[in-house]
Amino acid sequence: MRIQSIGGPARRRGKVLLLLGSIAFTAAASAVQAAEDRLILGVFPRYKATQTTTMYAPLADYLSERLGRKVVLVTSKDFDSFWEGVTERRYDVVHYNQYQYIRSARTYRVIAHSQEFGKDAVAGALYVRRDSGITEVSQLRGRTIIFGGGRDAMLSYIAPLYLLMQAGLKEGDFRTEIAVNPPNALLALYHKQADAAGGGDILIDLPVVKNAIDTRELRVLAATEPLLFLPWAVKRVMPAKLRLSIQAILVDLERSEPGRNVLKAAATTKIGKAADADYDPHRKMTTAVFGREAAAK
Amino acid sequence: MRLGLGAKFTLTVLFILAGTTAANTLYDLNASARFHEQQLIERGRALGRLISLVSPEAILGFDFLELNNYTREVCAQPDVVYGVITSPEGAALSSYIDGSDPLIKKLLDRTGSRDTLELLQNLDGQDGLISLQFPITHDGKLLGHFLVGLSRQALQNEFNRQLTIKIQVLTAVVLFLSVAIYAVFRFNVLQPIQRLIAASRNVGRGQHAVVEVKSSDELGLLARAFNTMAEGIKQEQAKLHRQANFDTLTGLPNRLMAFDRIEMEISRAKRSGERFAVLFIDLDDFKSVNDSLGHAVGDRLLVGIGARVQAVMRDADTVARLAGDEFLVLASDVVSEAQVERIAERLLGAVAEPQDLNGRKIVAHCSIGIALYPDNGENAETLVANADNAMYQAKTTQQQGTATFFTEEMNTRLRNRVQMEQDLRVAIELGQLTLNFQPIVDTAGRRHRGAEVLLRWNHPERGAISPAEFIPVAEADGQIVEIGDWVLEQACRYWSAWRASGIDSGFLAINISRIQFRRRFSARLAELMSIHGVPPEALELEITESVLLDDHRQVAEELGSLRAVGVKLSLDDFGTGYSSLSYLKRFRFDALKIDRSFVAGVPDDPDDVLLVKAILAMAEGFGLKVVAEGVENQDQLSFVTTQGCDLAQGYLFSKPMTDEAYLGYLKNLQTGVEPLQRPGPKNLKVAD
Repeated sequence: MRIQSIGGPARRRGKVLLLLGSIAFTAAASAVQAAEDRLILGVFPRYKATQTTTMYAPLADYLSERLGRKVVLVTSKDFDSFWEGVTERRYDVVHYNQYQYIRSARTYRVIAHSQEFGKDAVAGALYVRRDSGITEVSQLRGRTIIFGGGRDAMLSYIAPLYLLMQAGLKEGDFRTEIAVNPPNALLALYHKQADAAGGGDILIDLPVVKNAIDTRELRVLAATEPLLFLPWAVKRVMPAKLRLSIQAILVDLERSEPGRNVLKAAATTKIGKAADADYDPHRKMTTAVFGREAAAK
Repeated sequence: MRLGLGAKFTLTVLFILAGTTAANTLYDLNASARFHEQQLIERGRALGRLISLVSPEAILGFDFLELNNYTREVCAQPDVVYGVITSPEGAALSSYIDGSDPLIKKLLDRTGSRDTLELLQNLDGQDGLISLQFPITHDGKLLGHFLVGLSRQALQNEFNRQLTIKIQVLTAVVLFLSVAIYAVFRFNVLQPIQRLIAASRNVGRGQHAVVEVKSSDELGLLARAFNTMAEGIKQEQAKLHRQANFDTLTGLPNRLMAFDRIEMEISRAKRSGERFAVLFIDLDDFKSVNDSLGHAVGDRLLVGIGARVQAVMRDADTVARLAGDEFLVLASDVVSEAQVERIAERLLGAVAEPQDLNGRKIVAHCSIGIALYPDNGENAETLVANADNAMYQAKTTQQQGTATFFTEEMNTRLRNRVQMEQDLRVAIELGQLTLNFQPIVDTAGRRHRGAEVLLRWNHPERGAISPAEFIPVAEADGQIVEIGDWVLEQACRYWSAWRASGIDSGFLAINISRIQFRRRFSARLAELMSIHGVPPEALELEITESVLLDDHRQVAEELGSLRAVGVKLSLDDFGTGYSSLSYLKRFRFDALKIDRSFVAGVPDDPDDVLLVKAILAMAEGFGLKVVAEGVENQDQLSFVTTQGCDLAQGYLFSKPMTDEAYLGYLKNLQTGVEPLQRPGPKNLKVAD
């Protein structure tokens, strides 16, 4: 297995690194091109690159073994560089969030979804402090709301924003703050840096959150319908046989000891089948939030 | 508890050493503690600056997990008990508090609160905690503060540990130094001092001691000074020993050494069963030599006698000079009294050997008393006292150059004499002394002229004691001065009282002792006469020839003083002593008293008749009145009257009378009644 990093921050140093990364990627792609049986597995930078490697390298090895083809895990240092790889269709198999799938659905086909914390689906939610006196979403008008992970985070931004819009609020009716990741949005709420926080409804139960704050002081103000978890997609141009083989391998992971070890390493309960229609709820919310064009871009 | 010099010195050094090192150690430890605390603060500041530097990114990105990582990492640092990142408003954004820290644990247990800010408030100002605060800014905008708490516990523990180690080390050092100092002190100071102490004790015991001088320091100088002193003491002791034990005039052993020698001889004799003799030598009439030839001659005489006495004794014998003209001979290992007699004869001969002094041949005589060990005493005091007593008895023989062995009878006499001395001492106070008066009449008309005052002692146990017995005793121990004064005052008092009663008692003849005469008697007499209003013609003082043997110049002066007072002087007992005509020539007297022993033989004893006639003729020649004593019959009176004797006294006229009887006698005289003439007891006089 060969691990390569791709980067591209906006700053000058980032640009240099991006350039170096592109050169490296080009070189790697040339190498892949040269060796046609290689598959590129891309994983969105939900975690740091090293942690991503630790979590998903076993899966790449497992796929390589089962497919009889080399599967190379490619990590990204940030979302921009990752998304660049998606738009340029560098990944044969990709694992990312729901919004990213919706945006790339023209070139990638969802074949499976991850089940985390024993759940196939997670609802988007708005959190407030119990002592805030806020009982209705509409009370958030004029308040500060913090979201975690960025504006393309499905559960931490889009879904909560959808809830706000459902309550009649639109951007500008409240102040928006963005935390580096969803757990920090809850921590910011806890520390009264915001009046509400957006995130998945499982967020409050995550150990990283529970260990940092007293979650009993927070409560869910509103939640969306459950949304299927993170998708696994392949290029739409991938041969059906290979696509189905990959789907079968992913879905069957829980049935073998090596497969379960792969799941365990990836902090995933299991991987289930998924089809494009399973992400229509996500698509509906995204369209509501960003508009049809932005959602399909 | 008595501390020695070494202990005191060592303790002093120990205290000084311990004090200074302890102060120095505390100063060092405190300086070290301050330094380490400063280091701790600097470390805290470094942490604070670092967190302040990295925190803005996390704060602006609401990355509380990262902030938590920061505070956790901060608290993982040694001595950091809490790290808190607060908002500008003071709300805690991230905090990590070491609940295991004793201070915080105690606080948490006390307050029960889990609120971070409340906890920080309570921690503020705690001695065991250093609280630092750093602003977190970005582009000049305050984003919050980073608070870090640093525990002094580790510093304190380290301080305590260092203190414990230093105390142990210093204790060991101080103890080692104390032992070393004590050892050095003991070797260099104490031992020399102890040698000096031991030497001083030896010197104190009279032993000569020399301290070895081992150094040239102060102790060496002290040792040298001690040796010089010890040598000086040795020489001085030898000198003192000589002065204490030897007579400076003759070089013979003195009384002290004589007694020592006798004690040693007693010890030796006890072991060997031998006998020895103590011979007490007293020169006869040595005073006359001093008086007539001067003390220098007297001293040379003593030196010569000492040498001759020593020459006739064996080397083993001891010849000592006790005092004045008293010598003592200790004759060892004598076998018989005959041998002692021969020794005494040799001594008498040696003393009597003529000595040429200032061109004059001087012949001295002595009396010797002999006491034998163990017959006459078993200790030195008794032997010497008994020999002295025997010597006294020898002197009483009135024979020059006599040696007498001690007898128990002498002791009895001595005891009686001592008892008499003691009784006499209180006789005046107890009213045991009285005065009697024996009339003196003129031989021509038998008219009363006066009376001789006679002293009487009525002892409560022994009855009347003769003046001849107690007057010598009183003279010997000096009581005669007080007694004589009492007699004189009483006589003046009587005479004055009688005169006040209109009775003419005539004169009172009062005997004056030789001892009284030496004490400026005239002044006292004048005083008493003045007090009692007694005219000079009312008193006649009777003195014996022995008075005249004393210093002629002094006697002449005193007699001149008495004459100036105006009293009459008579020479008593003329004919019994020296009866030197030169006395009559040299000293002026008013009368002579013929002793009763001569009067008793007239008119039958041709010798007495001749003697009385000679005295009367001589008195007539010198123009002196004569009083015949002891006239007891008419024949005696007729004889002395016909021979020209002026006055007489005796039983023929009256026996001595008490004051009351004498007063009656005087009254009868005034009324013309003749006094009774009957025999009475033998009259006794104040002086011999």
